[in-house]
Amino acid sequence: MNLVEGWYAVAIADDIEPGTSAGTRLFDRELVVWRDLAGVSHVWEDRCPHRGMRLSFGFVRGNHIACLYHGWAYDTAGQCRAIPAHPDLAVPETIKVATYHSAEASGLILVHSSLGAEAPPPPAPAPTGRALRSLYVDLAPDVVAERLLRDFTALDDGSYAGTLAGAPVLVFLQPFTATRTGLHLVLAGPGDSVAVSAAAEALRNAFEASSAPALEAAE
Amino acid sequence: MSLVLHDYELDADCYMVRLFLSILGITAETIAVDVHPGHEQRSPVYLALNPRGSLPILVAGDLVLTEAEAILCYLARSEAAGSPFLPDEAAAFGAVMSWLFFARGPLGAATAARLTAMLEAPGDPETLERQARAAFRVMEDHMTSRHLSGASWFVGDGPTLADIALFPPIVLSRDFGIDHDEYPALRRWMRRMRTIPGFITMPGIPDYH
Repeated sequence: MNLVEGWYAVAIADDIEPGTSAGTRLFDRELVVWRDLAGVSHVWEDRCPHRGMRLSFGFVRGNHIACLYHGWAYDTAGQCRAIPAHPDLAVPETIKVATYHSAEASGLILVHSSLGAEAPPPPAPAPTGRALRSLYVDLAPDVVAERLLRDFTALDDGSYAGTLAGAPVLVFLQPFTATRTGLHLVLAGPGDSVAVSAAAEALRNAFEASSAPALEAAE
Repeated sequence: MSLVLHDYELDADCYMVRLFLSILGITAETIAVDVHPGHEQRSPVYLALNPRGSLPILVAGDLVLTEAEAILCYLARSEAAGSPFLPDEAAAFGAVMSWLFFARGPLGAATAARLTAMLEAPGDPETLERQARAAFRVMEDHMTSRHLSGASWFVGDGPTLADIALFPPIVLSRDFGIDHDEYPALRRWMRRMRTIPGFITMPGIPDYH
């Protein structure tokens, strides 16, 4: 398993509703995922250039996201367009949030982990599938990847194919921090979504339970 | 009957009661108690009113009620026509009560973690944070399952006391360093809470969202 720069799922697309924002992490870097009222999703560095406040704490108005601290508002390109304390100011072009390449496929929001650089095309969407849910595991990403490979098959797009509650699923792994891992679950065929979701919880719990003694031994 | 709420603006349990009063459209007289730094809730005058030394305290005539969840139940039962926030039907009533005990039990770690972080209350932050995250995960898994089943609230088809009691600890979790990044189902539900007529915020909960 090689967790390197590349495309990673960071959210279920439906979980980021129009006009809302959420924070997440990729390789321990803070990201804001937000969706404008036109329905387009964006993934940026989660940091207002003004005072460093997390933009994910802010609020979306129309096609701008505004910082909770002082209301600095940014357009969909990350460019600051309004500073409420200086309503007559022509905002300098230099006040801009760093943006990531992102895309939506298989009902997921995917982001390329290398900030600003040219990004290769995102993985092709799964032919059929319904993105179900995200789970977060209190284990290192490479440990989770190793555990997944015992029962799942790694695919070229970086996902893991397997079966939960008798249904075919794809699991997309998000290296969240050094000690936490996000899993984004896609139901890839017929199946009971609630049962599949519960089976994923059981898998997460089993991963954590089986790894706990190993952690202690390492200390 | 006139109601008097002994209140502390920054207390999550007091907010729980203020929130439900506002949703019910009931105006109570509020008396601000100097919890921090004064510890007035443990002064002789307050210990005479509530020997537990805790807030909130609701006084309704001769009745003195403590413990936020008990006050919620009292307020719901006091509604002349009954209240959908405390269902009569046995299964729904049981489910609501189960979440109220969860709010005071496992989820109490979140409230304690916040008081430790903000108001110098005693407690081990690391242990409390671990316990709070475990409780939040139980809530997240429940609401994920509810969402996949087409439901929007913790119990039944509309908001109940379960939602009111579970909301303050998670919505205020950033006060003690737990972000909402790992809780997409709870984020959706917290946005929905804001649509309840009479919803109010407190310091730490943005008016905007």
